[in-house]
Amino acid sequence: MTALQACLVGIVAALSCATIEGGWFGECKIREPVVTGFLVGLILGDVKQGLIIGGQLELIWMGTASIGPVAGLAVGPGGTIGTAIALSTGAGVEAAMAFGVPVSVLLQFIQSLIDTGYSLPMHTVDNLIDQGGQERKIVWIHWLCGIITFAFYWLLTWAALFLGNDAISVVVNNIPEWASKGLSAVALVLPAVGYAMLLNLLLEKNLVPYFIIGFVLAAYLGVSMVGVALVAFALAFIIYIERSNKTSILQHKLAGFTSTDFDDEEDEL
Amino acid sequence: MSNKAKPAHELSKKEFKTIFWRSFTLLGSFNSERMEGLGYEYALMPSLKRIWGDDEEGYKEALHRHMAAFNMTVAPSPFVMGISVAMEEMAHDDPSFDKESINAIKVSLMGPLSGIGDTFFWGIFKVVACSLGASFAAQGSILGPIVLLALFNIPNLLTRYYGLKIGYSQGASWLADMEQSGMMKLFTYCAGIVGVASIGCLTASWVGITSPLSFVISGSEIVLQDYLDQICPQLLSLLAVLGFYKFLHSKVSVIKVLCSGVVIAFVLGALGVIG
Repeated sequence: MTALQACLVGIVAALSCATIEGGWFGECKIREPVVTGFLVGLILGDVKQGLIIGGQLELIWMGTASIGPVAGLAVGPGGTIGTAIALSTGAGVEAAMAFGVPVSVLLQFIQSLIDTGYSLPMHTVDNLIDQGGQERKIVWIHWLCGIITFAFYWLLTWAALFLGNDAISVVVNNIPEWASKGLSAVALVLPAVGYAMLLNLLLEKNLVPYFIIGFVLAAYLGVSMVGVALVAFALAFIIYIERSNKTSILQHKLAGFTSTDFDDEEDEL
Repeated sequence: MSNKAKPAHELSKKEFKTIFWRSFTLLGSFNSERMEGLGYEYALMPSLKRIWGDDEEGYKEALHRHMAAFNMTVAPSPFVMGISVAMEEMAHDDPSFDKESINAIKVSLMGPLSGIGDTFFWGIFKVVACSLGASFAAQGSILGPIVLLALFNIPNLLTRYYGLKIGYSQGASWLADMEQSGMMKLFTYCAGIVGVASIGCLTASWVGITSPLSFVISGSEIVLQDYLDQICPQLLSLLAVLGFYKFLHSKVSVIKVLCSGVVIAFVLGALGVIG
C-alpha cells in the first residue's frame, strides 16, 4: 500500500466513524462495510473485490454495530481497515475480520474516552453564552470537536496501515491452520450475536410468530430475503387495515369528549 | 384542533432549510455530559436569534436552555427541533408562558421517540437496506452500496423533513393525537412484523453454524450434522441466536456477550467442534 493509498483509506475510516457519519452526515450509513468496501476497492484499484469483501463483512457483523449509547463494534473504521488489509494482502474476508474485530473493539473504547473529553468544552460554551455575542465561537467549538475526531481517526489509520504494512502481511501470510479454523467459526457465530442484538431491540411477545414464519420460510422452503420481506409486508398490511378500521371506529365513538380534553391541554402549553 | 393563535413571526423557508441541514450535524460534538446538546444548540441558534433578537436576557436564557443534555435517535430529532422553535415563539410573545415546559417537552420526547426511532431506523430500515445491499455487493455488484444508501436514506430524509415541518406547525399535539388514536402503536407493531420476520430469515440463511463432528459407532460412521438437520434445518444457528438473545434480554452488557461469543466461537472452531 502506498502512502497516498493509506492516506485515502484513512479519510474513508475517519468519515465512517460513528461520530463523523452521525455528526456531519446525519447517520446516512456510509459507515456500512458495503459502502466502505466499495470506497476502499476504488482506492486500492480493485472495486469488485472490495465490494465482495465488504458484502461478506456486512453479512457477518450487520447486527453488531453500536446503537447510540449501546456499545458494540465500531463497524465504520474497523470495516474500512479490515477490508483494506484483506485487499492489499490478497487475503479473504477472514483477514478482514481478524483485524477488523479487535480494531473495532479498541476504537469503540477510545471513542468513549473522546466522548468524555468533549464534556469539557461544553462548559466553555456555557461561559461564552454568558459573555454574549460569541455565537461564532460556539459554532466553532461544535465543528472543532468533529474536526479533531476526524483527524484522529485519519492519522491513526494512515499510520497503522502505512507503518504496519510489512508486519501485517507477515501476520496474514502466516496464519496457522487452527487459527484460521477458529476465525471461520467466529465468522459464523458473529452474525448470531448481531441478530440477537436486533431481536433484543424489536422482539415483543406478540411478534414471536413472525420470527418463526420468517425462519421457516427461509430454512425449510429456501425463500430469499426479498421474498420473506414481501410476505411479512403483506401480513403487516393485512393487520394494519384490520386494526386501523377498528381504531377509527373506536375513535369516532370517543370523539365527543377526547377533543375537548385536548384543547385544554393545548392551552396550557 | 389547531385553533391556537398564530405567532406574529413565522419560520421562513430559509430558516427551515438552516435547521434541516444543521440537524445533520447533531452528533458532531457528542460528549458524555450533554450528549447531543451542543448539536441541538447549533441547529437552533439562528432561530433563537430571530425570536429573541430584541431581548438580550431572554436570548441568553434560550441559548442556555438548549445547551441542556439531549440524546435521541438522530432521524426523528428535527421533529423535536420544530416543536422547540414553535414553543420559543410562544414564550417570546406571551410573558406568562412557562419556559420550563420547553425543555420538559424535549426530555419527555427523548425516550419514546428514541424507542420508535431505534425500532424503525436500526431494527428495520437498516436491516432491510443492509441485507439487500450486502447480497448485491457479495456478488461484486456496484448495486450493493447504491441500493443500501437509497433504501436507508429515503425514509431518513423524509422523516427529517416532515418531522421538522409537522413538529413546528402542529407541535406535540400531533404526537399526542397519534398516541391517543393508537395509530403510532399499530404502525410500530406492523413495522415490527417486517423487522422480526426478516431476522428470522437472516437467522436461517446467513448464520450457518454447522458441526463437522462425526463418530464411529460399531463400524458405521455417524455424522452429527445429519441428525441435527433431521430435527430442524439450521438448528445450531437458531439455538445460537436464541441463546445470545436470552443473555442480552437479561441485561448482560452487549460488549460482554460480543467478546465472549467471539472467544467461544474461536476456541470451538480451532478444536473442530463447529465450522
